[in-house]
Amino acid sequence: MLAGMALALSELPVELMVQHGLERRVCDRGGEREVQFLFADADRLLPVWRNGRLQILRWGNRRGESAHLPCTAWTQLDTVQNGGWSDRAIESVVVPATMGLDKGVWYRIRQGIRGLVALDERDRPRVYVICEPSSHYYQVMTRGGSWMPVLIDERI
Amino acid sequence: MPSSTAVGHLDADCFYVSAERVRDHFLHGKAVGVLGNQGACVIAKSYEMKHAGVKTGMPIWDALRLCPQGVYVKRDFRWYEVLSRRMLDVVRAFSPRVEYYSIDEFFFEVSAGINLREMAERMRDAMLREVGVPVTVGIARTKTLAKLVSDTAKPFGALALLDRAAEVALLERLEVTEVSGIASRRAARLEPHGIRSCLDLARADRLLVRRLLTITGEALWYELNGEAVLPFYTERPPHKMLSRGGSLGGTVGQPERLYAWLARNVERLVEELEFHMVRTGALSVYIQHKDGSDGFARRMLPAHTDRFDLLMEAARSALARAWSAERPAIRMHVAASQLRRSGFVQLGLFDAPPERVEAVAKLKREVNAEIGRFALRSGATLPLADVYRDEAQSYDICDVRGKICF
Ligand SMILES: [Mg+2]
Repeated sequence: MLAGMALALSELPVELMVQHGLERRVCDRGGEREVQFLFADADRLLPVWRNGRLQILRWGNRRGESAHLPCTAWTQLDTVQNGGWSDRAIESVVVPATMGLDKGVWYRIRQGIRGLVALDERDRPRVYVICEPSSHYYQVMTRGGSWMPVLIDERI
Repeated sequence: MPSSTAVGHLDADCFYVSAERVRDHFLHGKAVGVLGNQGACVIAKSYEMKHAGVKTGMPIWDALRLCPQGVYVKRDFRWYEVLSRRMLDVVRAFSPRVEYYSIDEFFFEVSAGINLREMAERMRDAMLREVGVPVTVGIARTKTLAKLVSDTAKPFGALALLDRAAEVALLERLEVTEVSGIASRRAARLEPHGIRSCLDLARADRLLVRRLLTITGEALWYELNGEAVLPFYTERPPHKMLSRGGSLGGTVGQPERLYAWLARNVERLVEELEFHMVRTGALSVYIQHKDGSDGFARRMLPAHTDRFDLLMEAARSALARAWSAERPAIRMHVAASQLRRSGFVQLGLFDAPPERVEAVAKLKREVNAEIGRFALRSGATLPLADVYRDEAQSYDICDVRGKICF
């Protein structure tokens, strides 16, 4: 299961960096700076293209946060397609990413990941990462990981 | 080879990684590992990852400990071959005699009169400019020396080394195992005779070397001493046989599905024939059944061909013989033998004006080169839609030439 992702710093507008205090998430990799969004972060966030602009939204839902939404950070493509979310107003979104992280492996993502945004009882948007059963390659790479994020126009 | 010529060796620097960087600028400057078909091993690494201690063939889990900040990508041999062809074109622009040694290595002949150091630099720079791949070029008196020169000039080096004093200085600091063709088993035979460095080998008694390493070793001895004896293959040496196939991804009992696998394998075989520019005179099909039994059948072709429709006809007939219909199959191989170079093949009766067929084959090649492998394929493969849809399935296709596959 996707444990986090990184986006090149150059892809994030300064005002978003300031507004969400993202500076402390900045890391250097081979001389290029990136912003990391990890599932393990206390403040769990993801960048999302929504309504034509890049936003930073809460990633999933934790116990004690929203009683209205499922307590998870991921949702299966099958569930989405079979109407598992049909009783809620949801939007399909793109989570831009330059790399994904799973079981310690940073792997290249060329465009991004499919996500789904749902509103909680206080109308705050939360984003869920859409997953599908892992390809053989992904499964071996992540030492048995059964789910991989649905990537945009890319199969690994 | 007359002494007025010299030999060059051009070798891409961390080729698979460089190839990924050609189409993905993001990977520049980062520690990059290319994973093999199973996602388990690092089959190529960038210099940044190499500096962290990661070795080729290392399991990803060991690599992660050494280089947690590495970025991993999936290998794509199709793309590497596209670039390999472009590299060949660049080398050919510099030399009329080129040997395609492996997917990222070429030997070429140059006349010794010109400034060879400068030529090596121009080739290296042209390769980066025109293909985007960093390479190292070494020029010397023989193939063996040229390869040693380029190996030591890596990365992004360009070196011509032609006088004996410079050769001696190089050979002195290299272990014999640096010579391609001398692995640890052969080195162990030389060791008791005090032959450890390349220079030791070059200065050893030729007949002793022949006794220890047969005539293969003797050829290397000549080469290290500046006498070019290894042949120059300006064309690929013709294969005796080409084959495609493998696991059926489970057991297959229905004839349509098995037939679809047959079509898939014949298509892959046609790719191979086209790549090697050969046609086949005989086609065989091998089937392994789930119960352990197997079947084999061969069909002679009326004329040498690389045409899908004719090969499919022969393959279908061979399959009917090789497969015991009541037993589910688990593996299949389709092999082409009696190969001949396309250029020298006489037109057979069945090759008579197949304009439409040629046009279809050409279109198929072009579309697949443009859009992706198997984008356009035989309708007979339809029962395998699931296999083609899951592009990750191409993990079972390990068709790279001249390199070991993991
Ligand atoms: Mg190389």
